[in-house]
Amino acid sequence: MSDQWTERLSEYLDGELQDEERAGLDAHLRDCAECAAVLADLKRVAIRARALTDREPAADLWPGIAADIGATTPSTGVPAARRGGHPGRQWSFTMPELAAAGIALMVLSGGAAWWLHPSARTNVGVAAKPPAPAIVAPASSRTRPRGYDGAVSDLERVLAEGRGRLDTATVRVLERNLAAIDSAIAQAQRAVAADSANVYLNSHLADTRRRKLELLRQAANLVTAVS
Amino acid sequence: MFPTLVSTVFSVMTLAAPIDTTVPAERGQRLEANVFGGEIIVKTWARNAVRLQADPSSRTEVTISSVGSTIIVRSEGRRGPASAVDLNLTVPVWMALDLSGVYTDVTIDGVRASLEVETVQGDVEVTGGEGQVSLSSVQGSVTLRGAKGRIGVHSVNEDVRVMNTTGEIKAETVNGEIELEKVDATNLDANTVNGDVAYDGPIHDGGRYALSSHNGDITIGMTPTTNATVAVSTFSGDFESDFPVTIKNQKKGKRFDFTLGRGGAQVELESFQGTIRLVRPGTAASRQDHDNDDDRDTHP
Repeated sequence: MSDQWTERLSEYLDGELQDEERAGLDAHLRDCAECAAVLADLKRVAIRARALTDREPAADLWPGIAADIGATTPSTGVPAARRGGHPGRQWSFTMPELAAAGIALMVLSGGAAWWLHPSARTNVGVAAKPPAPAIVAPASSRTRPRGYDGAVSDLERVLAEGRGRLDTATVRVLERNLAAIDSAIAQAQRAVAADSANVYLNSHLADTRRRKLELLRQAANLVTAVS
Repeated sequence: MFPTLVSTVFSVMTLAAPIDTTVPAERGQRLEANVFGGEIIVKTWARNAVRLQADPSSRTEVTISSVGSTIIVRSEGRRGPASAVDLNLTVPVWMALDLSGVYTDVTIDGVRASLEVETVQGDVEVTGGEGQVSLSSVQGSVTLRGAKGRIGVHSVNEDVRVMNTTGEIKAETVNGEIELEKVDATNLDANTVNGDVAYDGPIHDGGRYALSSHNGDITIGMTPTTNATVAVSTFSGDFESDFPVTIKNQKKGKRFDFTLGRGGAQVELESFQGTIRLVRPGTAASRQDHDNDDDRDTHP
């Protein structure tokens, strides 16, 4: 991650490199798995961010989510990613921004699901409401996501509203696995309540909640893929 | 139908069944294939060309096109959704692949290039792959052998198995086991919620090896001379070792560290309520299986 090309990947993605430099980086990418992976991450961030509208959210999602999942990464990647709302804008990530964006991307996915889902953009401003069964019924009032729970409930909503488009066996599998994760989260929460200073238990709880968000994101992607 | 050789730079062919056609490929081109249902089977040959064999129903149209650096194979329904179709592809060993489907099994054998495979209801079985290798199924199992590079293997509801593979490895599932056998990982991250994790392979100085499960056991092949700093964490599980270890740092709860050899690698073993085991190298998978059999015998 520290070779001469790493910092040029953003320019490469933006098409700003001279032909000679581009050819050099092309050759380097064939041999350097790390740079190829960073480039793939940059592309994912760019794609996700381009899917976001320019509309500014009333509140930054990251602080709440970071607090909820126990993450400490700053939110620098979020506004960086958001810059991509305008076609033709340039993509310039520093490596710390990319690292932050990698984590924020997962979180943004929740927000992106909210942004991408038209029906979720009404009645903005009502306090979001957390935990719910693995797949919740569509809510009558749409709320802006707040933190982890908001991201989860919005992705659950996307899944609930799109489940009719998925194969029933797939829905069953998703429900079963979300239930398994919910059960693990509940057990970890009880353990943390009994031993709140235990670093392992706290990180295990954060990891398990992250897994739920990732699975919901995957499920939401399946729904949008068949839409 | 006789094999067809297409030599135009850009072409889109809609093919009548049965299909047996060969398209020239230039070094550096990649192959993208997407079928809604069926099977994608990829083999390799020494020619710089892609051979496509398929026998789609009359309702399904298979196209192959060459657009710039990509050769694209698609199946689409003539009226409504495409029916299942099996694609048999023969490609150059250097050709990168991007294969996807929904009700689709994917088998790849012998490709030495980056691979990206995504399916929903299907198994993924790959031998080979170099560079970026990313294999994913929601409802199917994922098996990878003989790959080299930066590896990501993901399932949701089934097992993940990696064998004879080298590189940085991330393996995960939710409701399945993870088995890493004869794997030479410089960095490893393997995690599941409901399932066991077993790793057998070298532990390299400077490497990080993180194995975790919520409900399953963790089994790793190690010896007293392995160079590793090992952190063990569990909530209600147990710890077992085939050899004595000297605990260096006992923390509150069931957490402790110990050092083997010079401690050059960082090994993190976590199971919320399963057993964490250090076993003789070469026995991790079999010990895991054996213990599972015992569990089944004890808890019918």
